[in-house]
Amino acid sequence: MEQTEIPGTIFNIQKFSVHDGPGVRTVVFFKGCNLSCLWCHNPESVSAKKQVEFYPDRCIGCGRCMEACPTGAHQFDPESGIHIIRRELCTGCLSCADTCYAQALVGVGEDVTADDVFRRILDDRMYYEQSGGGVTFSGGECMLQPVFLKALLSMCRAEGIHTAVDTAGYVGWKWFEQILPLTDLFLYDVKAADEQVHKALTGAGNELILQNLTRLSKAGANIIVRIPFILGYNDGEMEGIAKLLAPLSLQKVEILPYHKLGNSKYEALGREKRAPKAQVPPAELLDKTVEAFRALGIPASHT
Amino acid sequence: MTLNTEKVSLSPLIEQRIKALHQDKMAINNHKIAVKGSLNIDDHGYIVYENFRFQHIPGHESGMVHGCRNLGQNLRKFLNEIPAYVNKNSALATCWIGFFQDFAPIGLVPEDRPPEHIRELLQKYGIIQSGIGGMNHLCPDMTIGFELGWGGLLQKIRYYREFNAPADTSFYDGEEELVLGIQEWIRRHVTLARSMAEEESDETAKQNLLEIARINEWLIDNPPRTLREACQFLAHFQGIDRTYFGGGAMGQLDELLRPFYERDTADGILTDEEAVWYIASLFFNDTHYSQIGGPTPDGSHDMTSRMSFLILEAMHDLCIPANIAIRVHDGINEVLLRRALEYTVEDGFGCSYSMAQGIEEGFAKNGFPKELGRIRAKTGCNWTAIPGREYPLQDVTRCNFARALNWAIEDLKQEESPTVGRLWELFKKHLHIMVNCFKEGYDWHYEVVSRNTPEIVDNLFMHGPIERGLNCAQGGVDIMDLNIDGIGLATVADSFAAIEQRVVKEKRLSWEELFRVLETNYEGAEDIRLMLKNISRFGTPDSPAEKWALKIRDTYVSFCKESLTPKHHLMIVPGMFSHGDVYMYGNVTMATPNGRKDKDPISHSSEPDPGFARGLHTFAPSLKANAVAKTQAGYGNSAPLHLDIDTDLLSHGGGVDALVALLHTHNHMNGTLVNLNCLTKQKLLEAHADPSTHPDLVVRVTGYSAFFASLSKEYRQQVVDRFLANDPG
Repeated sequence: MEQTEIPGTIFNIQKFSVHDGPGVRTVVFFKGCNLSCLWCHNPESVSAKKQVEFYPDRCIGCGRCMEACPTGAHQFDPESGIHIIRRELCTGCLSCADTCYAQALVGVGEDVTADDVFRRILDDRMYYEQSGGGVTFSGGECMLQPVFLKALLSMCRAEGIHTAVDTAGYVGWKWFEQILPLTDLFLYDVKAADEQVHKALTGAGNELILQNLTRLSKAGANIIVRIPFILGYNDGEMEGIAKLLAPLSLQKVEILPYHKLGNSKYEALGREKRAPKAQVPPAELLDKTVEAFRALGIPASHT
Repeated sequence: MTLNTEKVSLSPLIEQRIKALHQDKMAINNHKIAVKGSLNIDDHGYIVYENFRFQHIPGHESGMVHGCRNLGQNLRKFLNEIPAYVNKNSALATCWIGFFQDFAPIGLVPEDRPPEHIRELLQKYGIIQSGIGGMNHLCPDMTIGFELGWGGLLQKIRYYREFNAPADTSFYDGEEELVLGIQEWIRRHVTLARSMAEEESDETAKQNLLEIARINEWLIDNPPRTLREACQFLAHFQGIDRTYFGGGAMGQLDELLRPFYERDTADGILTDEEAVWYIASLFFNDTHYSQIGGPTPDGSHDMTSRMSFLILEAMHDLCIPANIAIRVHDGINEVLLRRALEYTVEDGFGCSYSMAQGIEEGFAKNGFPKELGRIRAKTGCNWTAIPGREYPLQDVTRCNFARALNWAIEDLKQEESPTVGRLWELFKKHLHIMVNCFKEGYDWHYEVVSRNTPEIVDNLFMHGPIERGLNCAQGGVDIMDLNIDGIGLATVADSFAAIEQRVVKEKRLSWEELFRVLETNYEGAEDIRLMLKNISRFGTPDSPAEKWALKIRDTYVSFCKESLTPKHHLMIVPGMFSHGDVYMYGNVTMATPNGRKDKDPISHSSEPDPGFARGLHTFAPSLKANAVAKTQAGYGNSAPLHLDIDTDLLSHGGGVDALVALLHTHNHMNGTLVNLNCLTKQKLLEAHADPSTHPDLVVRVTGYSAFFASLSKEYRQQVVDRFLANDPG
C-alpha cells in the first residue's frame, strides 16, 4: 500500500493551536487510548471505535435516527417520551448522525487516509513557516496507530514540516524506535511517580512509561514533559515526579492545571464522570510546585 | 540612526488633558445617543447641536442645492452659521455638527435621476447601493494643503480660473466660495478661543487657548509650519470633509506628519508627549481613516518612523473609536506590529491590518505598475486609494449574489427538468444582468454627478481638478477605476452545494419539495431547512461549497472585467465588501437553499457563514482566514477577514506571536485586510445567554480549545466566571 493510502481513525483536526508545541500548529487527534485517566479531558478519544454524541437540547424529535439505526439503539422512553440511546446496541455506524440534521447526534471519529490528513496539514504550512510551528499528533494515544503515524511523520519530514508526537508512552519501545528518526519533538505525559498511584489513576502501571522516557532521553530526543496537575488525585505525586525527571535531559517541563472543560462531553457520550473530587489547582500552588521543580534544576513552568 | 520605539511617559498635565478629552467624548456621545438614538455606523466624532437650523439657498427649480457655485455658496453660509467649538483640553479647535445633506436638500435633481430601465433593474435585484451618486470615497493628498495652506489654495483656484478662462466659471466659483467659508469659519474660532482665554482663570489653560487662537489665526491664510499647526490644518479638513458627504480619508498619516515632527524636535520646540497630545486631539476631533507603516513606493524599505509609534500611542491613550490601519508587509517594523496587537488586547479594539501583497499585485492586474498599488493607502472602511490621484468609488455598491440566485430559482421553476447545471446557467444570466446594470449606472453617475454633487472638498487636495477645472469624478484625476462590491458569496455557494448534495446526489429531497419549502419560507419544514443547512459548508477545506465559491467568484470577476462601461468606457474593478449591510440586503432576499430564511441576513463579503466549521474541522482563525484569502476578487480592492480573538489566546505565551504569524501569512496568501477584535465581556455574555448568536466563538484553556456554542451551560458558566474574574470592569 502506498504511504499516502494508509488508513487511520481520527476525531479532530484543530488548526491554529498555540498550546501543543512551538509556534502555530495543526493538532491531529487520533482516536483510541490504552490508558483510562480518571479526569480525562477528551473522553471521546478513549474508544478506538467511532461513537455518537447526543445533545438533547438540539433534538427536534423528528425520529429519523430511529428509522436509520439498524440495531434499534435509538428509542423513545415509553413513559416519559424522552429520546434515549441504548449505547450497548450502538455499533458506531453513525447512520443516525448522518440523518440528524439538527445535529443533536454528532458522530465522533472518521476513517481517513494519511493523504487526507496530510492535505489539511499542508493548508497551514505558511503559518508554520512564519511562526516556527508545525504539526502535533495527539489523541487519544497516537502511538496506537503506529503505521499511520509513521506515514504521516515521513510525509511531514519529506516536506520539512516540524513534527511533535504527544504521547503517554504506554507502548512498546519498538514503536518509539520506528518513529524516533522522524520525530522532531516529543510531548511526553507523566501523571504519577508511584506505580500504584499511577495504576489507580490511569488503569496501568508506569514502569514502561518511565522506561521509555528514559530511553528517549538517552537517545537524544527533544522532549517536553507535560504533567497534568489534578488537585485531589495526583497533587501528592509532584515531588516524586520531580525526582524522576531530574536526571533526564529535557527541553522543558510544563505543568498543566486540571480544568473541567471536558465534563459536558461525558454527558454527550452517555458516560459517568470518574473524577468527582478533582479540583482546579490555585495559582499559588502551581507556582510553588514549579519552584520545587526548578530547585532540582528542571526547566519547569505552568500554564 | 536607530528608530526610537519606546512608549511615551506622559506628564500629569498631558495625561489629565487626554483623559479629559476621553471623558468629554463619552459625554458628547451620550448626548448624541439621547438625541438621535443608537447609531449603526461609525461614530464619526461630530457634536450634536439639536437646535441648529439651516436655511439653504436653492440652486435649482426643484428647490435643491445644485451646481458647484451654488453648493459653494451654501457651504460658506453653513460654515458661517454653525457653532464654533473650542475645547480647553484639546490642542486644536473646531468640530463638525453633522452632514450638510441632513440640513439641506442635495443630491441628484429630478431630471438627473437614473432612467427608468435602470431603476427597474435596481428594484428587481434589490440593489440599494448602485454607485450612482456615490460620494467622497477617495483619498486626498494632504501634502497639497500642507504646502499651500487655505490662502494658497484660494490663490490656486483664482490663478487657474484666470488661466483656463472657462466659459462657465461655476466650478471655480464654488471652490472659491468654499475656501472663503473655511477661512471665515476658522476666524470665528480665533475669536472664540480668545474670549474663552479672557474668562479662563487657570493660567495653563489660558495659555493653551491663546495658543489655539494664534495657530488658527496663522492658518487662515498660511500653510502650517509646526506639527501642531499641521494637526490643526488636518482638523479643519476633517470637519469640512465629514460635513460634505462624510468623507473620512487622511492618507499615510505618519509620513504626512513626519517632516513636521523632525523639524520641531530638531528645533527643540516639541516633546514626544506633546506630539501624542496633538494627535490625540486630532483623533478626538474625528475618526478619519489613516494608515501607518508599509513599504516605500520603490519597496526598498519600511516607512515606520517615530511618528508611527506616536500615532499608535495617541490612539491607545485616548481610547475612543479610531480608524488606524497598519500596512503589513515582510519588512514591517515588528515592534510596531506587536505594539498594535498588545494594545488591541488591552483596549479590546485597535488597528486594522492592510495587506501589501494582495493590494499591490491585485492592483497591477488592472494594468497599473505595482509601485502605484504600493502607494494606495488604506483610508476607508475597507478601501484603499492612491492619495490625490485615484477615483475608485469602493464601498458604494453592493452586488448581492443571493438576489441573482433568487431569480434563477424563480426561472428554474418554470422549466420541466430542473438540473444544477441549468440553475447555474440561470444564476450566471442574472448575475451578468446585475453587473451590467452597475456598469451602466456608473456611466450615468459619470454624466450627472459633477453638476449635482461635485467633490468640492476633495478636489482641493487632488492632483488635477483645480489645474484642469474638472471635478475629480469627471476626469479631474488621472485614475478612474470604479469598483463593484459583491456580497453574499457563502450564501450562494452553500446553496449550490446543498442542492447538489441533498437533491442531486443523495436524493433526499426532490426539486419540487425544494421549490415548495423555499416558497413557504421553510414553514413546517424545519428538518428540511436543517438538512440543507448542515452540509459541508464554504470554509471547510476542499468542500464542494468551496469549489462553488471559487466558481462564483471567478464568474463574477470575469463579468466585471470582460468589458469597460458601455458608453464612456470607464474601468471596472471587482471587489467584495458588505460593510454591515448583510441585514439590509438580507431583508430584500427571499429564502435560499442553504437553509437561510426569507429576510435573514446574507453572508459577509467573501467570508464563510458563521458556524461553518463542523465534523473533523473545528473552528480556527486560520480555517476562516484561508477561505477568505482564497476567494479574494484579486484586483487590489480589500475583502476583509473579521476575526474575534479571545484575550486568553493573546495573553498566554506565544499568543501575539501566533497573531503576527497569522497576519504575515494572510499577506502571503494574498488576503487584503484583517479586522481583529478581542473577545469582549458583552459578547461573551450574549453568547452565554444564547449560544446561537455567536456560533463561531472559540474559547481556549490550557492546551484545549472548544466551540463555545457546543458546550453545556455548566461549562459556559465556567468560562464566563473565569472571564469575569479577569475583567477589571
